[in-house]
Amino acid sequence: MVERIEDLNLPNAVISRLIKDALPDGANVSKEGRAAITRSASVFAIFLTSSATALAHQQNHKTITARDILETLTQLDFESFVPSLQQDLEVYRQMVKNKKESKASKKEANADISSGPAVAEVPSE
Amino acid sequence: MVEPKTPKTPTQQKPAQRKPSADTFLPLSRVRTIMKSSMDTGLITNEVLFLMTKCTELFVQHLAHEAHALTAKQKTGTGTSDTVKYEHLSQLVNRNKNLEFLLQIVPEKIRVHEFQEMLRMNRSGVSDDDDESGSGSDSDE
Repeated sequence: MVERIEDLNLPNAVISRLIKDALPDGANVSKEGRAAITRSASVFAIFLTSSATALAHQQNHKTITARDILETLTQLDFESFVPSLQQDLEVYRQMVKNKKESKASKKEANADISSGPAVAEVPSE
Repeated sequence: MVEPKTPKTPTQQKPAQRKPSADTFLPLSRVRTIMKSSMDTGLITNEVLFLMTKCTELFVQHLAHEAHALTAKQKTGTGTSDTVKYEHLSQLVNRNKNLEFLLQIVPEKIRVHEFQEMLRMNRSGVSDDDDESGSGSDSDE
């Protein structure tokens, strides 16, 4: 659970970088403006989560799914986000799948040691 | 269909076509904390967490982009800097229906004497409203 309200803030450095990526060169955001964006982002996440949860509950689901979120985005009038998110999700799912497969093959390789150490990417977490 | 009140400007198009990617910039753990603070049911799958993080990133960039568009539009030629200020953000929130949920998070700044004026108006206005709602709430048989 959240102990301090600061726990809900997103890291400043990351937000700054995201903003910088979104703006043309030479454009700037004032300190106050940046703080407002950071706050808004947290509230957006909360807002979207609770809206998606409500949608899931409506359909008698206990946990929210990726589909609930995408649907909620459309309802909240942010449908412009959906296409890029769908692409991201596809890449993410592929990555998870690959990870699983490489893990499985690693296990197999370990089972019969004769095949030598399996070359697998180090999980980045 | 919800049509935004303000006409869509050509700047509405997404900034710099980004590549889809499974990498996130924002820390997942923090986004999870934020999500937990509102969810009544606990479980958050990794996929949902990922999607939510991406979503929040997009939102940050969307806000920044739109606010900058507004800044550029209001630039009055004479060497004003290309800086997005708080005022632009609060204007943006005020104008766009889908940002309504931020109205109290990014309120428009007002001067103290304006605020005091508002308080006074409210105080005299409240009693009027009460009278009206009292007479207006008659249910028909």
